[in-house]
Amino acid sequence: MSKSLSSALAGVALLVVLLILNIWLNPTRFAPSSWGALIGLAAPLLCAALASTPAILGGRGGIDVSVGPLMGFVNAVLVTGLIGRLDITTPLLVIPAAVALGAAVGLVNGLSAAVLRIQPIIATLGAYLILTGLTVTIVPAPTGSIPEWLRSLSQVYSFVPILLIGLAWAAFTRFPAYGQLMAAGSDDRAAFTAGVNVTAARLISYVLTGAFAGVAGLSLTALIGSADPNVGPTYTLLAISSIALGGVSLAGGRGGLAGAAIGALDIFLLQSVLTFFNVSTFVLQVAYGAVLVAAVASSPLQERLLARSA
Amino acid sequence: MTLDLNALRRPVVGAIAIAALLHATGSVLIDGYSSPFSIRAMLVLAALLAVASIGQTLVIIIGGIDLSIPFIIGFANVVAAQLTGEGVDFVVVCLIVSALALLIGAANGALSAWLKIHPLIVTLGMGTIAQGLVLIWTRGFPSGSAPAFVSDFVSIGGSMGPIPLPGLIPAVIALAIVITLLMGRTPYGRKLFALGGNPLAAHYALIKPIAMWTTTFALSAWFAALAGVLLLGFTGSAYGDVGQPYLFQTLAAVVVGGTSLLGGRGSYLGTLIGAVALTEINTLLIGLGLQPSMVQAALGAVIIGLVCLYGREPHLRTTI
Repeated sequence: MSKSLSSALAGVALLVVLLILNIWLNPTRFAPSSWGALIGLAAPLLCAALASTPAILGGRGGIDVSVGPLMGFVNAVLVTGLIGRLDITTPLLVIPAAVALGAAVGLVNGLSAAVLRIQPIIATLGAYLILTGLTVTIVPAPTGSIPEWLRSLSQVYSFVPILLIGLAWAAFTRFPAYGQLMAAGSDDRAAFTAGVNVTAARLISYVLTGAFAGVAGLSLTALIGSADPNVGPTYTLLAISSIALGGVSLAGGRGGLAGAAIGALDIFLLQSVLTFFNVSTFVLQVAYGAVLVAAVASSPLQERLLARSA
Repeated sequence: MTLDLNALRRPVVGAIAIAALLHATGSVLIDGYSSPFSIRAMLVLAALLAVASIGQTLVIIIGGIDLSIPFIIGFANVVAAQLTGEGVDFVVVCLIVSALALLIGAANGALSAWLKIHPLIVTLGMGTIAQGLVLIWTRGFPSGSAPAFVSDFVSIGGSMGPIPLPGLIPAVIALAIVITLLMGRTPYGRKLFALGGNPLAAHYALIKPIAMWTTTFALSAWFAALAGVLLLGFTGSAYGDVGQPYLFQTLAAVVVGGTSLLGGRGSYLGTLIGAVALTEINTLLIGLGLQPSMVQAALGAVIIGLVCLYGREPHLRTTI
């Protein structure tokens, strides 16, 4: 626990600095009265980062790069299919549908990565291509509209999707499957020898990632208010960057959802500072890359320097 | 001279069989699939992919992964075009692009190995920075084009004297022999497989991981830059996102060719055939008249299916 805390330290320090900078630069945007809309802007990225975490915790190259396209796919199916064609607008059906769709795709990813043992990055990159292709086929151009309650998920109730994922994860950590997943992530051979069903633990992690990505898709739909085939895939790289910033080890077994959330907030606040200065998206891109490399390099670099001076 | 037969086992045979099967399917289903022009086009596309995949093969065998390849391809593509357009001599352009690519690649490898950060993150970050800097420099609208001899070298209609193939094809075959010899017959190659197979044992064998990673990632970036310049000749004008399809394609070519993403196992011959198989799939899907978005979706499904056939990881119980 302390190990993952220390590797998240750079992320936390960055968070504090960025938060102070943001409040100083733009007090009205960060005033308590606009928190709802502010969280609504950050929520899709935050949820995407949370969603990407479980698969990574399972170790042995576990990763799900299809989270972004899955959000876009959920967005397309909800807006054009469920709301547009079938005219189902009640939250009692739309929210479970989003979660179920995400979990189903997560299950397929888990079957190919954990059960069939295809290298996870290949399996989920395949899913990335399939989902992107299907989404563009369903929704060639931005279209559709959403009910009022769904729109409020990016305004007053923007905390709901994040809370939903947080509570689900908190519940999951109470089950033995959580310990088994972390054991598989830190040393799968030891875990296997100790009788842990490593395959099942990893399968569950992909289903969780998928279900959370479904919630992230819901939050994305609330923010953009229509079906858009181009937005989803951009979240994959940002989510993985968030996780690295937040000190979740890509080797698995270390870190948790809190780290991923800190990393995602870092990226959101950085975006917010840079857009305040009206810089071009190109500069924004360089800044992302630079902050990512600097942040992941800072904590091991510190350890090296301390070890040398001691 | 004998090559390492162990590295050329089942996966390479499997990849050859699949490429042949795909080609037969295409010839039956699509008119003109085996026409000389279509075969030449597929060879050129496969050769470009094969060049871009050299680095990915080396980097994966050492136990890493290089996500910066698509960004470096775009970076080299745009920088080469822009500098050529400003009247810089092409030799100087190549030197500048090579130096920059080697520098980025070396930074990728050194940071990953020295600070023990996952190369996925480092290469992603460095790639993003490189592409962003180029976009700032060209303000998003790159201009310029490749000199005529580069275009001739990769042109589908090009020929070398009596042989109706562009110079790229024999060049890539020669390059493949050099890379295979480098991996199988030199101290560098032995260290590469040793580090990927068992880093701890490699440490006791006095192999320097940081030097090896730095060299290998620098090579990877250089070959990506080479692919970027060749693509400039192929497409005619600069385009920053020209490398994007190559992220998935290089990884898929490597894996279809039987190289394990866990490191220490694999061959460039496999990657070469993987590149041919992927080009066959792509051509077949487009030839069947699918929409570009559905081609993409089908490509994802087919590759998962292919890897399922023989690219699967061993069960955990066999590793204990």
